[in-house]
Amino acid sequence: MRRASLIDLSGAAVVVAALALTPMLLNSNYLTGVLTVCAIYAIWAASWDFMSGLTGRENFGHALFIGAGAYTAGFLATVWFANPWYSLPAAVVVAVAFSLVVGFPTLRLKGPYFALAMLTASAIMQRLCLIFWEYSGGEEGLYGLEPLILSPLHYYWFVLAILVIAVAILTALAHSHWGLLLRAIRGDEATCQAAGINVTFYKIASLMISAAFAGLGGALYAHYQLQVSPPLFSVLVSITVIIMVYVGGIGSIYGPAMGAILLTLLTEMLRGFGEYRLWIYTLTLMLILFFLPNGLIAPLWRRLTERFR
Amino acid sequence: MLEILIYGAVSSAIYAMLAVGFTLIFGVARILNLAHGAFYALGGYSAYVFTTLLHFPLFIAAPLAVLLVAGFGVLMERFLVRPLRTSQLAVLMITLSVSLAVEQGLFITFGSEYRNVPSFVADKISIGGVDIGGQRLLALFASVMVLCCLWLFIQRTRLGAAILAVSQDPEAAQYMGIPTNRIFSIVMAISAGTAALAGVLVSPFLTVQPGMGLLPMVKAFAIVIVGGLGSIPGSILASLLLGYSETIVAYLISSSWTELVSLVAVVTTLMIKPSGLLGRRAAF
Amino acid sequence: MNAILEVQDVSKRFGGLTAVKNVSFSLLPGELTGILGPNGAGKTTLFNLLTGFIPPDSGSIRFEGQELRGLAPYKIVNRGVARTFQLTRPFLGMTVLENVIVACLSPRARDAHDKESRAHQLLDQVGLGAKAKDAVETLPYGDLRRLEIARALATRPDLLLLDEPFAGLGSSEIEPLAQLIKRLHREENLTILLIEHKLREFMALVWRVIAIDFGEIIAVAAPADIVRDPRVIEAYIGRTEADHASV
Repeated sequence: MRRASLIDLSGAAVVVAALALTPMLLNSNYLTGVLTVCAIYAIWAASWDFMSGLTGRENFGHALFIGAGAYTAGFLATVWFANPWYSLPAAVVVAVAFSLVVGFPTLRLKGPYFALAMLTASAIMQRLCLIFWEYSGGEEGLYGLEPLILSPLHYYWFVLAILVIAVAILTALAHSHWGLLLRAIRGDEATCQAAGINVTFYKIASLMISAAFAGLGGALYAHYQLQVSPPLFSVLVSITVIIMVYVGGIGSIYGPAMGAILLTLLTEMLRGFGEYRLWIYTLTLMLILFFLPNGLIAPLWRRLTERFR
Repeated sequence: MLEILIYGAVSSAIYAMLAVGFTLIFGVARILNLAHGAFYALGGYSAYVFTTLLHFPLFIAAPLAVLLVAGFGVLMERFLVRPLRTSQLAVLMITLSVSLAVEQGLFITFGSEYRNVPSFVADKISIGGVDIGGQRLLALFASVMVLCCLWLFIQRTRLGAAILAVSQDPEAAQYMGIPTNRIFSIVMAISAGTAALAGVLVSPFLTVQPGMGLLPMVKAFAIVIVGGLGSIPGSILASLLLGYSETIVAYLISSSWTELVSLVAVVTTLMIKPSGLLGRRAAF
Repeated sequence: MNAILEVQDVSKRFGGLTAVKNVSFSLLPGELTGILGPNGAGKTTLFNLLTGFIPPDSGSIRFEGQELRGLAPYKIVNRGVARTFQLTRPFLGMTVLENVIVACLSPRARDAHDKESRAHQLLDQVGLGAKAKDAVETLPYGDLRRLEIARALATRPDLLLLDEPFAGLGSSEIEPLAQLIKRLHREENLTILLIEHKLREFMALVWRVIAIDFGEIIAVAAPADIVRDPRVIEAYIGRTEADHASV
């Protein structure tokens, strides 16, 4: 169990400060919006990494929890006209419920099959949204959500704060005995059983935690975009998150968060490339898989700060 | 009733061809090929390009499309998948990337409108009072033929025996002098080729659009899970089950519910008998 | 005295092959008993049945009076039955110490407040104290076996099942390990059941031998008598010369 060293905390503080102050310096609502999306993707990436990065059970259907959270916010706003702040806890509850329902049958499966089962589950949710279009708004989805905080800048700081809290909680868990057990599960489940560990419990619990934050991010996203639609459940969202994690360094939690922020910024800068963006993404993933399977950001950070540990 | 029988048979046959290709490359090379749906889509689009844009006659366009996609599959396996064979998850991700790249590439090149491919057989045929497009019947017969040929090929030829050997134990096969890498390429070619053929056969009566590979991919996965990973008879059996269930659901409820059949099938299988109906190797 | 482990009529078939056939035996608390049998006799299968990794087709397994059949392996561990594996599979990517801490996190062991110091203490007990911070991948084979034992001890077992602890060890490593097992048996008040197919190691170590062949018990006696039992001798004829010569 590693304690976060002083250099890590300093680095994090600098990054957070930079992220918080940039929109003030540049005074652009557009940039603030982009950074908000960056922060939300960072929450999604960190939450994926906590479960899949530590246990090695890569979840190809993270979009399931993201979409569940987002649509919960959507329903609360457009069907029940509830106070938008209720979306956040509600999204967490719904996403966790989803994780329980799909987790039990799928977590028994070996790595690739678990990945595929989750992928299928999210694809099916996407289809269900289209089938039951009278309730879900079909292809256009639900719109007319209200923002949680009117000022884009303040909402951004709110999302950033949630990101910091999320990364802090997930990192603390990862460095605790929880993290050790999850990594042991990745190592060898039979040996874990022989060590008296209830493997199923930890797998499901970590999936639930992962889903909770993903759903929370989904609700935050819904109240940013002010609409939700079926592509939120798509394999594209899942794979984008995975690419961000791989760029950041799988298993490090902070790496994926940074990877998400950088890749989202990059996407914005590449807006001119339009349809070719996806190709750039897939190319990035392929390059990472072949040349940098441990990622870019976390290994780089560790190398740079070796002397200070 | 007869309608269901016939239309169900068409669906089952097409799914069977897709699923068998998927389960074949898994059974032999342990590759879960998420780009399988992309091969299907490329088959359909190749047929479109060759017939509608290049004005080749159908009987040239179809085999050409199949060969083209088979070659694409072989290249993908050789350069993208083989270096990553040690990690099944990495293989999943790379094939998924290929699938997304292909879909996006098709979207960029052809746009999102549905494309039309002319039918091989334009007439409607009537069987026992049921009207069915000739193309669908052709698809049915062609699929069955291909599956039979494949079965005979594997059971009766030396190459087929080599393939079986590699699927049971690649290392042992290598010690016996079987060139496993070449076998992987051959099986990949068969797998991609059959997927492309399925795409070519259905493109006249189903839509050709960039995302056309996703649902067949999901269904092929469902069939393979239900039938048992690595088991060709299992895939065929499961294709019949799922194909007919979907047709029945489409008639009784509505066609937009058909994808749910796959979901229910997968979830049920995973919860009750994860190794599938005839699978030897469980998914866990 | 009541038996700590009562195995009754346990059987297991894999398809056409009967791996374990109507095996019945009991262990009294504090015994150090060995299961002897040639390769393929069903010894590891029996261990897997006792520890919940495979469900038996029939029979009962009672530990401290309670039925173990049907329980998940981790639950059996938390009842007080620990085992080592013949092919050690440590948790890679972690240190030696962390490997033991994992077992200290099981419910049965969890009441100890400081997991790290308990893990250190366990490593000291098996003689790996100096290597606590090493990456587990750097451990030589003999040390991995000790790590297995430390990991098993971490769960505070009453019954310890050792699956071929001496397999693959060089002659200079066997004796120290045997001494360690004897010492732990005494210090930790354990009941130990161990599997081996080499006779020599048994002689000095165990009090009683249960001989198995083709899934069935063929003899139960003290080590000195077991080697004279005609059925045991017959089971070993045709096995490796080395084993026969070591009698």
